[in-house]
Amino acid sequence: MRKKHSFGVVCEFQSAAILMKAATGLRDAGFTKFETYSPFPVHGMDDAMGLKHSKLGWIVLCGGITGLSGALLLQWWTSAVDYKLTISGKPFFSYQAFVPVSFECMVLFSAFCAVFGMLALNGLPKLYHPVFKYSRYHNATSHTFLISIDKNDPLYKEQETALLLQQLGGENLEVVED
Amino acid sequence: MVERTEKLTGFLADKLPKILLLMGTLSLAFCAVSYGANPRQVLFSYMTAFIFFLALTLGSLFFILIHFLTRAGWSVILRRIAETLMNNIGLMAILFLPIAFFGMHELYHWTHAEAINDVILQKKAGYLNIKFFFVRAVIFFGIWFWLARVFYNNSVAQDATGDHSHTLKLQKYATFGVILFALTLTFSVIDWVMSMTPHWYSTMFGVYYFAISTVLSLCVITILAMTLRRAGFLKNEITVEHYHDMGKLVYGFNIFWTYIAFSQYFLIWYANIPEETIWFREHFMGSWNAVAVFLVLGHFVVPFLGFMSRHVKRNLIAHFVVVCWMVFITIVDLYWIIMPNFSPEGIEISLLDFAAFMGIGGLYFGLYFLRLRKHALFPKKDPRLEESLHFHNV
Repeated sequence: MRKKHSFGVVCEFQSAAILMKAATGLRDAGFTKFETYSPFPVHGMDDAMGLKHSKLGWIVLCGGITGLSGALLLQWWTSAVDYKLTISGKPFFSYQAFVPVSFECMVLFSAFCAVFGMLALNGLPKLYHPVFKYSRYHNATSHTFLISIDKNDPLYKEQETALLLQQLGGENLEVVED
Repeated sequence: MVERTEKLTGFLADKLPKILLLMGTLSLAFCAVSYGANPRQVLFSYMTAFIFFLALTLGSLFFILIHFLTRAGWSVILRRIAETLMNNIGLMAILFLPIAFFGMHELYHWTHAEAINDVILQKKAGYLNIKFFFVRAVIFFGIWFWLARVFYNNSVAQDATGDHSHTLKLQKYATFGVILFALTLTFSVIDWVMSMTPHWYSTMFGVYYFAISTVLSLCVITILAMTLRRAGFLKNEITVEHYHDMGKLVYGFNIFWTYIAFSQYFLIWYANIPEETIWFREHFMGSWNAVAVFLVLGHFVVPFLGFMSRHVKRNLIAHFVVVCWMVFITIVDLYWIIMPNFSPEGIEISLLDFAAFMGIGGLYFGLYFLRLRKHALFPKKDPRLEESLHFHNV
C-alpha cells in the first residue's frame, strides 16, 4: 500500500496572462516543484516556469547512432564475413548498398527514442494524478488555468505558499490530499 | 508602437550598388574581351555563374510561394529580402541572351551538324532542337517573370494601402504558382544543364537542382539579413528566433539535397547501365573525383554534424560561418556538375571563372540593393507582421 501523503496546494487562474505572471512570480521566488495546467499550449511558459531544455535531443542522438552503427555492423557481418554472396558482380562490402538500410534504421531508432523517450520523460502513461482531486479540476480542461505546488518543494510552507498564490491572482485555493 | 527604420539608407543604399555595378560591368567586359581568344572557357564559366544566380533567384521565388501557400506568419519580416531576390528574374532573362546568341554551339553539342548521324539524338530531335529550345526558354522566363511581378507588386502595393485582399490574392496565386514553378524549374534545368550531356538522362536532376536552389536561397537570405543587421537595419525585428528557423530550413533542405544526390547516384550505381553510368564516370575522372569526395564531406558530413545543434543555429557568428560555407559549397557543386563538360581530364580553375561570378554577381547585387532601397525593408502593413515580430521558438 502506498503511503498516504498530502500532495500540495492547487489554485485557479482566470486567464493565461495571469497564469504566466504567476508562474514567473513563483520562479522568481525560487520554487522548483510546481506545475501549470492550461486547456491549450501557452507560448513562453517554459521560460516563465524556468524549465530547462529537454534532454530528449540527446536521447534521440544516441538512438540514431545506435541504429546507424548497428545496421552497418549487421550488413557488414552478414554480407562480407558470414555469408558472402556475389551480387551483380559488386564487392562484398558495397557501402552504397548499405546506405538505405542504415539510414532507415537510424531514422527508426531515432523515432522510437523520440516517442518513448518523450513518454518516459513526461512520466506517461499516467492513469492517476493527485491533482485530479482538486474540486474544480475539470474547468482547466476548458476555460481556466491551474497552478499546483508540490509540498516536497523546499520552499513549501502551507500558510505562506497559499498566501503567495493568492497575491499572484490565484482563486479557489485548496490543499489537495492524495 | 515603436518607430522602425523602414528604408535602406547609407552605404548599402548609395555607394555599394555603384561599386557592385562597376565591378560587374568591368568583370563582364573582361569576359567579353576574352571571348575572342577562348570562347569555350568564357561560355562555360559564364554558364556556371548564370546557373548559380538563377538557382538563387528561383529558390527565392520558391521561398515566397511556400510562404503564401502555408500562410506562414514567422517569415513575414524576411519576405521583402527574398522578394527582391526573386524580382531579379528579369535580369537573369537578359543574362541568358549571351548564351542563346553565342553559346549554343560550344555548350550543347546536340546543336552540331553531325548530330544528325547520332541515333540517340535523332530520336530526341523532336524535343531537343534549337527552335523548340528557344520557345521553351521564353515560356520559362515568361512564367517566372509573371509570377515574380505578381508577388512583388502586390506585396509593395500592400505597403501603401494595408489592404488584406492582396494577401488573399497571393495565397490563391501560390497554389498554381508552385505547380508552375516545379514544372518550369525541372524542364529548364533539363534544357540548360542536363542537355550538355544529351545522351544521359536522370529523372532526379530537376529535383537535385531544386534542392540546390532552395538551400542556396535560404543561405543568401540569411546572409543579407545579417548584412542589414550589421549596418543597423531591422536589428530588433529580425531576431535570433528567425535566424534559428532559417537555420532549421537550411539544415533540413541540405539533408534533402544529400538524399536526392545520393539517390541519383545510388540508382545509377545499382543498375549499372552504361548510358546512365557514363555521367558519373565523366564526373569521377581525374581530379573531379577529389571534388566529388570533397562535396560529400563539405556538403553533407560537415554541415550535418556542425549545424545540428540549436546552439550553433542561435549563435549568429557561427550561423554566419555555416551559411557562407554552404554558399561556397553550392558553387563547388554546380562547378562539378557543369565544368567536367569543359575540362574532362580534371579540374582547371581559370581567372574567367572568377570574372564570370563577379560579373553576374556584381550586376545582380548592384540591382538588388538599388531595388531594396526603393521600398520599405519589410512588408510593413502585412496582416501577419505582428505575428512575425513576436515569433518565438518553442
